[in-house]
Amino acid sequence: MVAYISMGEAHRRITEYLTRFSDAVSYQDGKSLSRLLSVSSNSAVLLSLADALNIYQDANRVIRQSEKYSQYADIIVPIFRALQSYRLRNLVESYVAFEKASNAFIQEFRNWESAWALEALYLIAYEIRILAERADIELASIGKTPEKLKGAGSFLMKVFGVLAGKGPKRVGALYVTCQLFKTYFKLGTVHLCRSVIRSIETARIFDFEEFPVRDKVTYMYYTGRLEVYNENFPAADHKLSYALTHCDAKKDANIRMILKYLIPVKLSIGILPRTLLLENFNLNEYSEVVLALKRGDLRLLRHALQEHEDRFLRSGVYLVLEKLELQVYQRLVKKIYIMQKQKDPNKAHQIKLDVIVKALKWLEMDMDVDEVECIMSILIYKNLMKGYFAHKSKVVVLSKQDPFPKLNGKPVNS
Amino acid sequence: MNQGESTDTITSIEKHQINDSQQVHGSSYFSPNCAVASWNTQGENHSLRENGVLSNSGYNHDQLVEPTLKNVQDGMSSAPVVSTSSSIPANVAQGYGGYAAYPNTDPYGYSSTGYAAYYNQYQPQPSQYQQQPSQYQPQSNQYQQQSDQYQQQTNQSYPHHVGAYQNTGAPYQPLSSIQNTGSYAGPASYSNTYYNPGDYQTSGSYTSGNYGTQTNLWDGGQYATYSSHQYQNYTQDSNSAYSSTTAVATPQYQQPYKQWEDYYNQTQTEVSCAPGTENISVSVAYSLNSSVPSGSTAYTAPSNQMPTAYTPLWRPESSSSEMTSMQGGYSLLDACKTWRKLEESAAVGSLCSEDDPISGNTPEGYWKHGASAFQHDPPNAVQPHAQKPQDVIPAYESSQNQQSSTFSQGSTALYPASYQVSQSHPSSFQAVSQPCEPLDSRKASKLQIPTNPRIASNLPSSQSKIDKDGSMTSAAAKPAYISVPMQKPNAKVIPHEEADPMLKPVMFPKSLRGYVERALARCKNDRQKAACQAIMKEVITKATADGTLYTKDWDIEPLFPMPDSIAVDKDDTHSQLQTSAMPKSKSPSRRAKSRWEPIPEEKVVDKSSDISPGTAKYGGWNNKKFSGGKIENKDNFGTKFSVTYQKSLGKNAARPAKKQRLGEDLNAADDGETSSDSDKEPSLTKYYSAATALADSPEEKKRRENRSKRFDKGNGNRAEKTNIRAKDVGAGNLYARRASAVVLSRTFDESGSRAVEDIDWDALTVKGTCQEIEKRYLRLTSAPDPATVRPEEVLEKALLMVQNSQKNYLYKCDQLKSIRQDLTVQHIRNELTVKVYETHARLAIEVGDLPEYNQGPPVSNVQEAGRSDGVGAWGDSSTVDIRLSADAKKDKAVKHALSVRSAVTSGNYVMFFRLYKTAPNLNTLLMDLYVEKMRYAAVKCMLRSYRPTVPVSYLSQILGFTNALPTSEASDEKELDAVEECMEWLKAHGACLISDGSGETLLDTKELPFPFTNGSSALFVYWQLVRSFIAFLCEEHEWGSIEVAANNRDNE
Repeated sequence: MVAYISMGEAHRRITEYLTRFSDAVSYQDGKSLSRLLSVSSNSAVLLSLADALNIYQDANRVIRQSEKYSQYADIIVPIFRALQSYRLRNLVESYVAFEKASNAFIQEFRNWESAWALEALYLIAYEIRILAERADIELASIGKTPEKLKGAGSFLMKVFGVLAGKGPKRVGALYVTCQLFKTYFKLGTVHLCRSVIRSIETARIFDFEEFPVRDKVTYMYYTGRLEVYNENFPAADHKLSYALTHCDAKKDANIRMILKYLIPVKLSIGILPRTLLLENFNLNEYSEVVLALKRGDLRLLRHALQEHEDRFLRSGVYLVLEKLELQVYQRLVKKIYIMQKQKDPNKAHQIKLDVIVKALKWLEMDMDVDEVECIMSILIYKNLMKGYFAHKSKVVVLSKQDPFPKLNGKPVNS
Repeated sequence: MNQGESTDTITSIEKHQINDSQQVHGSSYFSPNCAVASWNTQGENHSLRENGVLSNSGYNHDQLVEPTLKNVQDGMSSAPVVSTSSSIPANVAQGYGGYAAYPNTDPYGYSSTGYAAYYNQYQPQPSQYQQQPSQYQPQSNQYQQQSDQYQQQTNQSYPHHVGAYQNTGAPYQPLSSIQNTGSYAGPASYSNTYYNPGDYQTSGSYTSGNYGTQTNLWDGGQYATYSSHQYQNYTQDSNSAYSSTTAVATPQYQQPYKQWEDYYNQTQTEVSCAPGTENISVSVAYSLNSSVPSGSTAYTAPSNQMPTAYTPLWRPESSSSEMTSMQGGYSLLDACKTWRKLEESAAVGSLCSEDDPISGNTPEGYWKHGASAFQHDPPNAVQPHAQKPQDVIPAYESSQNQQSSTFSQGSTALYPASYQVSQSHPSSFQAVSQPCEPLDSRKASKLQIPTNPRIASNLPSSQSKIDKDGSMTSAAAKPAYISVPMQKPNAKVIPHEEADPMLKPVMFPKSLRGYVERALARCKNDRQKAACQAIMKEVITKATADGTLYTKDWDIEPLFPMPDSIAVDKDDTHSQLQTSAMPKSKSPSRRAKSRWEPIPEEKVVDKSSDISPGTAKYGGWNNKKFSGGKIENKDNFGTKFSVTYQKSLGKNAARPAKKQRLGEDLNAADDGETSSDSDKEPSLTKYYSAATALADSPEEKKRRENRSKRFDKGNGNRAEKTNIRAKDVGAGNLYARRASAVVLSRTFDESGSRAVEDIDWDALTVKGTCQEIEKRYLRLTSAPDPATVRPEEVLEKALLMVQNSQKNYLYKCDQLKSIRQDLTVQHIRNELTVKVYETHARLAIEVGDLPEYNQGPPVSNVQEAGRSDGVGAWGDSSTVDIRLSADAKKDKAVKHALSVRSAVTSGNYVMFFRLYKTAPNLNTLLMDLYVEKMRYAAVKCMLRSYRPTVPVSYLSQILGFTNALPTSEASDEKELDAVEECMEWLKAHGACLISDGSGETLLDTKELPFPFTNGSSALFVYWQLVRSFIAFLCEEHEWGSIEVAANNRDNE
């Protein structure tokens, strides 16, 4: 099909692109401009342009013919190359060229007083990440070190620097930040997020509320995840809840992504989700966990963790869920306590260690007295249980008042 | 002034460019006003010079005359003023003032980058400005990249450089990272930072005094070299900064000016390590600039030139000497002090003679020279030092004369040959003052080698080089040029004339014409232009040859990097040395993409030491050089090396350097060198020993033995073997050997010049020939040199040496890393590999160096390497991830590790100590790290939850004091001991113990003076470990099937 394009046609397409480009710039039409830059969008216009470029080798001369175009040659020439390479599925080259174009673009962008080109800049930030990811896949497939995404990260950082100022462009900073987050999370270098977060949250030039909602939600999602990572559950709860409440209710996939982290966080502060929620968002991996917490069923919890180990580990919530074990123990002891209370209210607050060991045996948890003693001690220590342990008689003596305090949104003491 | 506002970390870039520059600058001076003023002027001057020397010298002049005007304006306003002559994009850059010029000089390694300034200078025409945006871009890149770091660092100026270095390539990165870690605190000279990161670093460490040690310990020689460079620079800086306060207004201007010159120089030298050709060309540009003998520009130009020319000379020198001399920062400090003094005097001298730029500056150059000589002395005491200040004086005079003559278009024999004063200078020295010769030559070689082979060419004794004439200037273009080469001026001319028609764009496609224009436009001066033409000629010839001349899209064809100064220099020298013109020989063709070219500085040093003050030795040097080039193999790292040299080889029968082609020959050559290295040992030894004192004395040996015994006891089976083997290794002459190893390794690391990313490591698998047991770790920045890679047997010895060494952990870590490196480059993956990794892991665990431990390779790597119980080390305990394959999970050690992890996670101390008792492999060692913490946590927990008492015997059993289970009778006694121990421990931590009637000791949990506070923080550290590991695992998708054998090392 490529071969059928005549030189004239190719020339026409190229000129048309150039015209559109320079028009978009002169009319300050960020939207159209961004459309012209989206290399990976596979839009028909760009694809046909790429074909034309592959035919018509001398596109650069066309660019340089007119002052109108040649002033943007630094952007357009590499863009052309990126398009060409992209069309030929040479993603690494495409990325490299695109990065070059992007650099030229932000150079221009700096000189534009108003923020009209933010849209285009967003697109560049997005494209560079996407192209880098694809280029890395390509690199990996030929056995080379995938490093382009890293490069994209530093480029995005540069873009952030361009936006992080006092002018009207600063509202774009959060978008770039989110792209950075995505990059860093993908790269596994989340520690790099810290500097960006710091500047977003502390710099006076930024007013968080001023940013677009879309970006705020994304930002909160990622920072919430980071907080999960740091096991700072109250903060994680706050951020993820913010993301959840501000997220477009129609975007199920996004809500699900948020819930994936919010649920473990809520669980660890003692708040259980409704079954319906889990079902609606297809988060069934949590349903057993929730059930285990309700029943005090250690075996079920361990089983659930094992079954979805991979998934939990990948999302980074495994450790969070693992910590629910103590709550399960608490629940179990509480059940024993309630049963004893039904039998003999007077002696209910004294629970023999043997009983607990036996209960665990039924759950096929092979734990001896020492270990259970240790667990009880930890429960008391972490204030999941009020009372004390008498070593001599091997009895847990529970407080008569509120022996099993609820977490009520507070994390387990540690 | 609005500069102040920019303290915010995040301000717009534009702001940064301007504000930072000023701000930073101000901070470096004591009196901000004066400082800024002078700085501004400086900056303007520079940019002006860059932009308009040729076109607009009058303008330049204005700037100089009206410093005050500039001063009043802050960066913003001054920029427009300056830029009236240039386009808008240029303005932004010029906001930098001096900076604008600076980034250009920097070799980013990207071909298109640094030429903006030259561009301007060349011919300011509107059309050229089109290119400017892109040219400035690199600059901005730089800027932004810093901004990454910028965020992290409060310092503004600092990041700038980091960015620059990132661009230049991998080797620099370490440097920057060091900076991050180490010397951030340095308050003094941020202005330096602006220009180069090293400066900043140095300044920081300068204050702290740690600097030298730091670098040496952690970095390869290369970095060390750099830093020392910078160090000098720093001193110089401070010198001017301090003295400037006292100086009168006019001097002030002058001085900073020089200072900046120095910066430029600095950049050059530094850059030179990077393979960036551009860089080199930059240096040429500078000197060229000044040496253009036009009367009107003479004033500015020479003043610039002299420092430029001289500084490179002494700087590398001194740095190298320092390197050799000491690791410790103290010597550096001393040296710097000397330096400063000298500098000051030099500065004074130059100030006085401001009117006469040449004489004024020359003294400085001279002084610097002297300084370097001085400095050089102590470290290299062994070597004959002909050069003393007194000696230098005649030399200096002569050189001065020569220079002046040069300026007046003089065709003095020695001087004129190269425009680059730096080169010619040494030679002139040689000629004039005999006593100086050896030293000079050495200097010269030292200085230049780093960048390229030009040194050799510079030396009269060296064999005739390849002729570079391809890159020669067209005769017509530069009359001055012709006159310069006194000896064989004509040789060049011919080729040029040939080249010219080639270059005529008449019959070429338009795009090609554009290409040529673009290329030429970059040239700053005639000389460069000539070189460019030569390159282009080649490019075009090639294109014609393969028929792509008309098909190629010249518009998108990247410009070749600017011809190096090397090339140019070579040309010069050639003209001098070589009678037979080789019109056909190619000039350096397009450069490979390698961005940096490590400087084989060390090599130079040792080489030079071998060289006695004769002539013939330089041939040897050449060989060496070639070997370096050879290693690069097919990849054209600097085109000059491979292309030119090889070519020259072909043509030059006389050349002994055939080795280049043959690996074996190479090795032989290197071996020879190795042996020669030993001559050098004394000084090198000193250098190395600064970090860890080591003696071969008997006591030393004894201690060593003792230590290995201790080792034995502590670690049982594992130490035994090593202990025995230790004997064969012996305390030996490790010292000396290490010294030479250092040299070698440095050579090794620096010889390459190809960008790391371009290297196909697999293809470069080498078989090591190095017999040194000790070798410092240097991050490999190029293809490995077999001569510096140790073969397996030697590595085995090295491992033993490390295992038995009683030096500190840092030393061992360094050694182990180098062993690992050698293993890697030789693709050795066997028992030894596992052992090395295990040893490293174990050491890291022993000293509790978790970060290093974590840096260890993922378990899979080691396992794949061969013996699968490598897990013993890196697969230990909590670090083993949870996502191991099912097979792996069945392994005892791994299972154990997983259980430990979960025990620690849940705080289950009972489980933890049970696991502790049954730990396989090295798990015990790793767990040792947490035993105390777990005990703390456990007792803390029990104190809260148990009432009223807990028997100590129970505690001792639960908390792992008792080794055996309480039921076994044989261990009764032991158990008692354990209880005792437990009591001791509890008491030591302030627990309240009571005893009941039956003689049972109890822990009273009602009393709570128990200061169990640090347990949690300790656990926190552990958390970091676990978390980071899991994070790593989560990212690691290719974990796949890991096979873990059940046989454990402990079974041995």
